Amino acid sequence: MNLRRTAFYAALLGAPLAFLGLFFYYPLLSVLREGLPLVPDALARPYVRRVLLFTVEQALWSTLASVALGFPLAYLLTRYEFPGKRWVKSLVMVPFVLPAITVALGFILLWGRNGYVNQMLMALLGLEEPPIKLLYSLGAIVLAHAFYNAPLIARVVNAAWEGLDPQYEESARALGAPPSRVFWTVTLPQLLPSLMSAMTLVFIFTFLSFPIVLTLGGARFSTLEVEIYTQAKALFNRPQAAALALVGLGFSLLFVYAYLKLGGVFARELTLQRRARTRPLFPSGREALRPHRLMIWAFLVVSALLLAGPLLAVLVDSFLVSTPEGKRLGLEGYRFLLRRQYEPRIGDPPLQAVLNSLRFGLGAVAIALPVGLAVAFGVTRLRVPGRRLLDALLMAPIATSSVILGLALLQAYRQPPLALSGTAWAVIVAHAVIVYPFVVRAVAPLLLRLDRSLVEAARSLGASRLRAFWDVERPWLVPGLVVGALFAFALSLGETSATLMLARPGLKTMPVAVYELLSGRRGLEAASALSVGMIAISALAFLALERLGERGLRGR
Amino acid sequence: MRNTNLILRAATGVALLGIGILVLVLVSGPAALPIVVQAQAEEGDTLYVYVYSSFVEWGPAAFVEQEFERRTGVDVQFVATGASREMLARLLTERDAGGTPADVFMGELNDVPKAKQFDLFEPLSVEDVPNLQFVPRELQVDPENTLIPYEHGFITLVYDTQALSAEELPRAFPDLLDGRFREALLVQDPRTSSVGHAFLFWTIYNFGELFPQYWERLLPNVLSVFPGWSAAYEAFQAGEAPIVVSFSTDACFDERYQPFFLEGQAYRTVFGAGVVKGTDNPSLAREFIDFLLSLEVQEKLPTTEFMFPANAQAELPEEWQRCAKVPPAPAVLPLSAVAENDDRWLQLWAETVVGR
Repeated sequence: MNLRRTAFYAALLGAPLAFLGLFFYYPLLSVLREGLPLVPDALARPYVRRVLLFTVEQALWSTLASVALGFPLAYLLTRYEFPGKRWVKSLVMVPFVLPAITVALGFILLWGRNGYVNQMLMALLGLEEPPIKLLYSLGAIVLAHAFYNAPLIARVVNAAWEGLDPQYEESARALGAPPSRVFWTVTLPQLLPSLMSAMTLVFIFTFLSFPIVLTLGGARFSTLEVEIYTQAKALFNRPQAAALALVGLGFSLLFVYAYLKLGGVFARELTLQRRARTRPLFPSGREALRPHRLMIWAFLVVSALLLAGPLLAVLVDSFLVSTPEGKRLGLEGYRFLLRRQYEPRIGDPPLQAVLNSLRFGLGAVAIALPVGLAVAFGVTRLRVPGRRLLDALLMAPIATSSVILGLALLQAYRQPPLALSGTAWAVIVAHAVIVYPFVVRAVAPLLLRLDRSLVEAARSLGASRLRAFWDVERPWLVPGLVVGALFAFALSLGETSATLMLARPGLKTMPVAVYELLSGRRGLEAASALSVGMIAISALAFLALERLGERGLRGR
Repeated sequence: MRNTNLILRAATGVALLGIGILVLVLVSGPAALPIVVQAQAEEGDTLYVYVYSSFVEWGPAAFVEQEFERRTGVDVQFVATGASREMLARLLTERDAGGTPADVFMGELNDVPKAKQFDLFEPLSVEDVPNLQFVPRELQVDPENTLIPYEHGFITLVYDTQALSAEELPRAFPDLLDGRFREALLVQDPRTSSVGHAFLFWTIYNFGELFPQYWERLLPNVLSVFPGWSAAYEAFQAGEAPIVVSFSTDACFDERYQPFFLEGQAYRTVFGAGVVKGTDNPSLAREFIDFLLSLEVQEKLPTTEFMFPANAQAELPEEWQRCAKVPPAPAVLPLSAVAENDDRWLQLWAETVVGR
């Protein structure tokens, strides 16, 4: 029986493994083989070691900053009730899926010498010189990374926190422990696994960060990914880029393994447990002025500025048109978005870029869903030693440089029978490979908590395996599939690095268009309008995600 | 009962999905079909020109397209998604991926050694491009004329007259190292920007193999190293710093921004056009390049590109005499030296600047 089940799940893994083998491992390995002989050389150079050290350093600072911002946010989301809480919970994840180039744009608009914050401070305080000189420093990079990743920390910790059984805290308090003691000795230890797993994920993402570092820091702050891009694109030195990618891959696979070891889950935990009491966030009267509350107010202002600020700056800027005389209100940015006429600065009509993003997203999800589902099944149900390692290998796309992935796909499939290079399919496949791990991570925890006895009960009542899957497991998994699908769609929408490599005229997407528009000088409003489009679509996707996810939770 | 409910719901879902896809396809028109089909259909009567983005944003791209179409009936499509080096990389990537639609490439002549290394262009002569005879010898830095020069200029430092006065300006390279210029300079990455590349060569012209030491001491005065000229100029105009590496013709664009030379020097930069190897329209491509060198287009360059025309017969606008500065001692490294050393120099630069 066990052998048959093992064989079944191993076979189930066959199709996704074939997919990955064809479109991830094989292309990647051929490119990396070019770089392998250069690795010892590369590691020996102090320059490379400096870049590696800086990459780790900025990732560490960014992770800490994300926790500093995200953990209090989780606290607020868990312990307090306020109007619009559901909206905030849904929309707080929007920054995570935005293309880095949009975020960089928002930061420049907000924090530059002539940015909104400095302009406001100079007007309020009557200053001559702009007080905040944030850009082109490590601080800007870390802050932007915190913007990106604090929501992830917030949601993961919040989900875990809400799932905690309140009885432990209540007992501790009944035994006379002060609230701080309860927090440090009872709550925090229970939250630690989720927090650590979220931190590891954030570390991986910031380790691989590229457009943010380049735009907000400049060439002096080079991470491994920036180096890979520069070697490949500017210096035409693919073997060197491949060597660096190998080094990076080694590191990030280690981190992915650590993440999985910590029980890596990032999707909402959908559990029905007794929820702890929440207090209103905006109380009336004297309660509102207690020092405890004032700290919360201060934090809210800071986090609103940090999280919503760049997005609002982009939104505002999308309605401003730059002319030689100055900026004026106008809808040119949005009209540009809907133009069907060819635009040489993108290499496509703008509307084509919008439609491409949508169709590539749909295509990527169509592939990622079945592949992710199959992998989730295989990985959770297969009982073999080294399962963690298998999981890590299957999650490898998260840890891989998207620049190298794009390059690899371009190189590998130039000839028939799979002459994908230069076609839409190359982009769709690249996106599918990059986003499918998120489907797995959304579905796997649900699979793990599914009560197997239900399936067995259905079987014993005469249902076939397929029927049992359809009637018992599928409804349970639908919320996870929806979460995975929407996340995958939003991530595909914002994918920049690999698409930059693969997109030729006809295949441009919205983030690529923004990147290329930003390399020019005019038409910042067009870039802002495109960014607003992406923000809107992502926000809609996440709102839908919350609604559908909760519907699934409430049961049928 | 439950089964029909299920089937009904599944059918509705599929129907909605189908309608959605149909709408998407209809809205996007023939563009929804695989791009390969479309590209092949277009190649017969379209000339693809790969050029750096400012040619389209500022330059006479629209005029060139219109006029060429009027003359030959051929549709010109510019692809201008980045700087010169980026466009070259794009060309290479597309060619490696099975083929590029590009017929003509317009970019900086310092990229010619790299282009030759990858055999990207067809060599040209005055028979192919008759107007080449009007281009002065000193601009034809490449004997094989892989890229035929159509415009040239001088890379130098430009300052914001509202932030600095003329007396405060540095006069020579060592002055730039002074403490009063802390975080005052905006420069570009020579690996990704032709302007940055030219500036690096300018320091090499003056300091030879000791240039890394100069850059090490220059770094505290550099606010940031931008990936491209546009990003640096955007920051310059936003007032982030008072000095930027740019063109000696900037005053013609806005009198507020004045160029200045160091010891009478500025670095020569030449832009040229070439025929991409493997193009479907070689004769059309050559005709296009010849058209770029015609007086019609050449006399449009100063007011749009803010560059000097390569055709010696072209007349310069009146105001140009006043605002377009020509250095008494233009600096330029021979292309052969660039071909031999560029990779090593860029490596040295990166090791000096990155991570410090």
